[in-house]
Amino acid sequence: MAVVKVAPPPHDSNIFQAGWGYITTIASGMWKTLVIFLKQLVHIEKTNTLEWPEQPSNYSDRFKGKHFLTLRDDGEVRCTACFLCATNCPADCIHIEAGNHPDNHLEKFPVRFEIDILRCVFCGYCEEACPVDAIRLGPEYAMAGTEGGKWVYTKEYLAERKQLSGGVVSVKDENEKHPLLETPKANRNAKQVKSYVRHGVH
Amino acid sequence: MSETVTFKLNGKDVTVPKGTTVMEAARRESVAIPHFCWHPGLSVAGVCRFCMVKVEGRPKLEIACNLQAMDGMDVKTDTEDAKSAHKWALEFHLVNHPLDCPICDQAGECGLQDYYMSVGKYQSQMTRPKVLKPKMLDVGRDLVLDTERCILCSRCVRFEEEVTKTGALGIFDRGDRAIIGTYPGTKIEHNYQTNLVDICPVGAFTSRDFRFKQRVWFLKDKPATCPGCSTGCSVDVYGKPETRTYFRVKPRQGEANGHWMCDKGRETYRHLNQDVRLRLAFTTGAKGHRHETSVAGAIEDLAKRISSVNPASDVALLVAAQYTNEEYKSLFDFFVRDLGVKKVFQWREPTEKIDEFDGLLYRGDHNANTRGLQDALKEAGLPAGVKSEFDAVAHCGAKIIIAITPEIPATFPSFDKQVQSLTELEFVSFWTLAGAIGDNKKVKHAIPMKGFAEKKGTFTNHAGGAGALNSPFPSPVTDGKDISEIVAALKNWRHSHGSR
Repeated sequence: MAVVKVAPPPHDSNIFQAGWGYITTIASGMWKTLVIFLKQLVHIEKTNTLEWPEQPSNYSDRFKGKHFLTLRDDGEVRCTACFLCATNCPADCIHIEAGNHPDNHLEKFPVRFEIDILRCVFCGYCEEACPVDAIRLGPEYAMAGTEGGKWVYTKEYLAERKQLSGGVVSVKDENEKHPLLETPKANRNAKQVKSYVRHGVH
Repeated sequence: MSETVTFKLNGKDVTVPKGTTVMEAARRESVAIPHFCWHPGLSVAGVCRFCMVKVEGRPKLEIACNLQAMDGMDVKTDTEDAKSAHKWALEFHLVNHPLDCPICDQAGECGLQDYYMSVGKYQSQMTRPKVLKPKMLDVGRDLVLDTERCILCSRCVRFEEEVTKTGALGIFDRGDRAIIGTYPGTKIEHNYQTNLVDICPVGAFTSRDFRFKQRVWFLKDKPATCPGCSTGCSVDVYGKPETRTYFRVKPRQGEANGHWMCDKGRETYRHLNQDVRLRLAFTTGAKGHRHETSVAGAIEDLAKRISSVNPASDVALLVAAQYTNEEYKSLFDFFVRDLGVKKVFQWREPTEKIDEFDGLLYRGDHNANTRGLQDALKEAGLPAGVKSEFDAVAHCGAKIIIAITPEIPATFPSFDKQVQSLTELEFVSFWTLAGAIGDNKKVKHAIPMKGFAEKKGTFTNHAGGAGALNSPFPSPVTDGKDISEIVAALKNWRHSHGSR
C-alpha cells in the first residue's frame, strides 16, 4: 500500500502541548512565507514565478493547443481537402471548401479551410484523422481575445501566422511527381520556409 | 412458355424462370455476390472475375454473372474457396489502383472500398511499384477520366455501345498498360454521359458538376420523380439537410427509366438551392410601394383583393404544368368549383416541341405533369388541350391574375420575357420558386413556393404512369408553401371573413 507522508496533525505536535500546535504551525508557515519573501526581494531571478506574458512559458510540443496547417516544401498547404478531419470533428467546427488546383499534381486543395475556434474542444481528432499530416495541434495556448476578435481561423492564419516563423514543413513530404501530368509553366513562387522552431512559437 | 428451374443457392431452394443467371437469381433473393463488371442494365462481360461461386460437383469456381441456373444445381457463395477467390481477385484489382481516396469523389460509395471491408481485408503481397497512367482527362462536358483508378470492368464501354449506341469509349493497349479512353480527337457529347459516372464502380469517371463539392457521406438521398420532362424518371435527390443544400440528382431503378437518366434531368436540383430561390413573399401597398412581408401576410393580402372583386369574371389563373396532381385538384376545387373562376390558362413555352423524343428518355415536353394538368382541367369542366395562352391572358380582362410559374425556369427560354409582359397587367400574383421574380422590381406580389423535393404528391407522366414524391427534404425557404397550402390559407381567410 502506498503511503503518503504528510505533516502530523497540529494537535499531535509536541513542541509545547496539545492545543498549542496550531499556533506553532501557523507561525512556521508565516516564517516560511517571510523567508521566501525576503529571498525574492534580493534574488528575484531565482523565483519560480514567471512574468507572463513578457516571459514566455513553453508547453510541450505534444500539447493540444492552437491548430496549424503544415506545408509542402514548395510552400503550398499539405491539406488535400479530403474532409476526414471535418467528418471526425465532434464539435463540427471545421469548415472546408474544396477546389480544383491549377497544378494537376495537387488536383484537389482547400479553397477555404476554417476552424471555428469557439466551437473547438481541442480533442485532437482532426490530427488523428488526417491521412497526410496536414493539420496539427501546436503548443500555443494563449488564445484570449476581445469580443471583436477573429474567432474563425482562416487557411492563411492556420498555415502562415507570424508565430509559426514561416510555416511548418511536414516531414511526410515526398517529392515524387506523377510523370504523366503537366506542371504549369509559371510555377508558383516557392516560398522560403524555415523549419519549425519550437521556442519560436508563441 | 413460363418454364422455371429450381436450384439451390446457399442451401435454399430458389425457383427462377429458365435462362436466369445465378447472379440475377441471387440479386432477387438478396444474396450478395461481389461484382464489378456485371450491371443489371448491361450485357454480361465476365471480365472482372470477381463473382466467383462454388457449384457442387464441378471442379472449379465459376462466375455467377455468366452462369445460367439449371435444375438441381447446388450453388454456394460462401465456401472457403469462394471467399478466398473474392479476396484475391480484389487484390488483383487493386494492384495498380492509386489509393488516392482522399481526393477521389467516389470515396464513400466506391466498390473497391466497400468490397475491401466486406470480402477483402488482406495484407497486400505486391512489392512492385504501381503502373502510372494518365489522369484528369477531359473526355466530355461533365466527365473527368482518371485512368489510373480504372479497374477495366468495361461497364462504360458497354454503356456506350448498348444504351446510347455511340461507341465513343474503348479499351486501348494491353495488360497492365490497358486504359479506357475516347478515340483520338473525339469527346463524349450525348445527353446521357453522367450515367458513366454512376455505373463506374470506382472513381475513374467523376462528374465535373459534382466534383469536389461535397463528400458523399455527408449527403442524404431521398426518392423522388424527376420534374425535368414528361418521362418522369425515378430519381434520388442528394442533399445536405443540415445546410439545406442540394447537390445532385441520380437515377433510381424505375419503370419509366430503367437504370438511367439524362444529364438535363440531373440539373433539376439547381433551381432548388437558396441562391436562386425566391425567399420572401412581397406585396404592394395602396400607394404602390412594394414591401417584403410574411407568406401569411401576402396570402391574406391576396385573399382581401379577391374578396373585393367578383371572382367569376375578375380572377384568372395562369398555371404551369410542373406541379402535382394533388395541388391541381385543390387549386381547381377552390377557384373553379367554389369561386366559379372560368378564366384558366396554361403557362407553356410557345416554341416547345411537345412530341419530340430522343429515343431513350428525354422528351420535348419539359413539364413533368402535362397530362396531370390536362386531366385536372377536364375534371374541373374546363377546356383542355395543350397550348400556350399568354395572349389570351393579356386580353382576358381579369383584374387579378394568379400566375403559377413553372418550377424550373431553366426549361423555359422565354421565362423572363413572359414575366416581364405579365408585369404590364393590372395585378399579377406570382406563385413561384424563381429568385428572378423577386429581382424584377415591377412584380407587385409574389409568394415563395416549395420545390419538388420538398413536398408530397404525384406526377402523371406522358404514358399515364404515376411518379411519386413522398419523402420531402426540409426546404431552404422555410416559409415556402405548395399550392394546396396557399389555397387552404385563402379558403380559411374567406371562411373566417364570412364570405362563402
